[in-house]
Amino acid sequence: MKVLITGASGFVGKYVVAAALEAGHEVRAVIRPKTDETRFSWHTHPNLEIGRFDLRQRRGLSEVVAGVDAVIHLAATKGGDFYDRFAGTVIGTENLLLAMQETEVNHLVVTSTFSLYDYQAIPRKTVLDETSPLIKNPLDRDAYAQTKLIQEEMIREFEKAHDATVTIIRPGMIYGREALWHALLGAELGENRWLKIGGKSTLPMAYVENCAEAIVKALTEEKAFGQTVNIVDDELPTQQSYIDGLLKHETESPKLTPVSWSVMQGISNLAWFVNKRLLGGQARLPGILVPAQLQARFRPLQYSNHLAKSMLNWTPRYSFKESLERSYGTQDLIFVEPEAVPATSAN
Amino acid sequence: MESKLKAAVIGAGAISKEHLSFLSTSSRAELVGVCDLSAAAAKYATEHYGAKGAYTDYKKMLAEASPDVVHVLTPPNTHKMIATDCLQAGAHVLCEKPITPSLQEFKELWEVAKACDRHLMEDQNYLYNEPILAIQKMVNDGELGEIQDVEIRVALNVRSEGGRFADENLPNPIHKMPAGVVHDIITHMVYLALPYLPSVDRVSAAWSNHGGGDLFKYDDLDAIVIGGKTHVRFRFSPYTQPECFMVFVRGDRGYAETDLFQPYLRTVVPRSGGQQLSPLVNHFANGSNLVGASFHNFYRKVMQKTPYEGLYKLMDKTYYALAHGQDLPIGFQQMERTLSLIETLLAEENQV
Repeated sequence: MKVLITGASGFVGKYVVAAALEAGHEVRAVIRPKTDETRFSWHTHPNLEIGRFDLRQRRGLSEVVAGVDAVIHLAATKGGDFYDRFAGTVIGTENLLLAMQETEVNHLVVTSTFSLYDYQAIPRKTVLDETSPLIKNPLDRDAYAQTKLIQEEMIREFEKAHDATVTIIRPGMIYGREALWHALLGAELGENRWLKIGGKSTLPMAYVENCAEAIVKALTEEKAFGQTVNIVDDELPTQQSYIDGLLKHETESPKLTPVSWSVMQGISNLAWFVNKRLLGGQARLPGILVPAQLQARFRPLQYSNHLAKSMLNWTPRYSFKESLERSYGTQDLIFVEPEAVPATSAN
Repeated sequence: MESKLKAAVIGAGAISKEHLSFLSTSSRAELVGVCDLSAAAAKYATEHYGAKGAYTDYKKMLAEASPDVVHVLTPPNTHKMIATDCLQAGAHVLCEKPITPSLQEFKELWEVAKACDRHLMEDQNYLYNEPILAIQKMVNDGELGEIQDVEIRVALNVRSEGGRFADENLPNPIHKMPAGVVHDIITHMVYLALPYLPSVDRVSAAWSNHGGGDLFKYDDLDAIVIGGKTHVRFRFSPYTQPECFMVFVRGDRGYAETDLFQPYLRTVVPRSGGQQLSPLVNHFANGSNLVGASFHNFYRKVMQKTPYEGLYKLMDKTYYALAHGQDLPIGFQQMERTLSLIETLLAEENQV
């Protein structure tokens, strides 16, 4: 299959390109105009071509999309203010969907996020899965969740309007060599200190190579067409065991200041009460002082990859221990042997 | 109860948040439409701010929603074309700065507005920020004496990696303006100084691109303008930190200063206690003001107050004036002088 991959130079994208090449697909990797493709060892692979484009622009995108069988859409903006994220995530997706419509490409795999779930509406310690409720009050959540929610709604509208084949992949917290310390561990306080919130909760981790393989499988596993599928690994670590795993490898670990989950919830609820009752809800507080955002990061829940396994015919290739070893190792994880698998250019 | 003016917005980018917030809460306006090339952006703004309709074609919006007032918030090089269409459709136009890239285009647009018997106004919002109004009042009351010296100093990290101005993948349209990225702020700097500048007699402007590269035309400005006895300095730098928007006004009796990004007002003027004790009284008075400003700015930060406070006041005055057939707060001469001085600063013969 000839597949266009947006966000190909991003954290997840570069692994997805590698996984797609490994699976024998021809890949058109979309990177932004000023990105240096030589940073990625797959850039010389014979089954790969580079498409230079910034998705925030509409004109010229159809030429980039034309001729592919399917699109894996990973590009999103994770930095800047709401309007920067809106441009990168929502308008970028809008432009892509218009180009797909123009070029009659109607097969799409897109990554969404666990951030879209309404964590406060899911009972503690129960299983979060694909049937769990989605955000009802987007304004209580951060700009990332707000813009990804709009993006997912647009994609489902596109699917209906154009009878397209769409699979939405919602990964948990993706980790890998470039992203090991993340928002589910706590809040960063300065350069080398973390406020560690909670500790016993299970984390919805998805190792980036496992996740990339699942995303690529969604291209061809027909059972997943039209579905929304959550991706988490097997044998999920607790926050404490995840941190212990990192610390085994870290030579210089950040200083951790632990705060209990109940105390943090109390502080957050109090801040929210004061904001709502005394400040008319107008105050902008740090995420950990907004209950909906705090719960989205630290609420103790269980997670399932049952649907992913059955729909995608997928099993996480690497265990937590192996994932950390690969992350802290020196092996080029995105190198793909040029002749490993002959390309299948046709469906 | 007075009837509301039907308002519409063209361009749903970052600055639209301020205009739409005003329009969605003003008792003088009814938001009848939001238009953006992106249907998603128009839809989001329409839903979020309670507009009646979302559009991707502004001509369709003008025809269907028949707005009395249109806020043009698109990139500057599109203002003239869009504003002309709005004026000819019978709408007054409130336009983001810079209203046009050149003085000539502004004059042409003004003629269109006159021919259509419609108002045309540039958003010179900082003129209505509290500290600027306070300084203006002090000047009017003679507290600072005759104004001798004005300095407008802006530090904005437009070079920051990942920021919207330094993005080489999709260059910001402002880079195409005559002053490049400095054009995004120069309008504000100039209109804040002009009330104190009786004429423009001598100009010396150093435009630099210290960071180099092709994306930025200039990233630094250091200019002196002298009119009569008044000296004005314009200083823009992306390299000095922290970010600020300082305004200093010095007269022959005393001086006042503020930072519009972290508002405070420091005034050093003759105080009770005479010549001997005035310095001491000034220190105590300003110390007290600074402590108050610290608490106020903390509150502002928590409550998401932005330096755009003046925009709300300016728009409210504008809508009042439109409703009552009065002159708008920013007139032809203010806009014409602003654009004229920007061109003078850029003129080759004045560059050093």
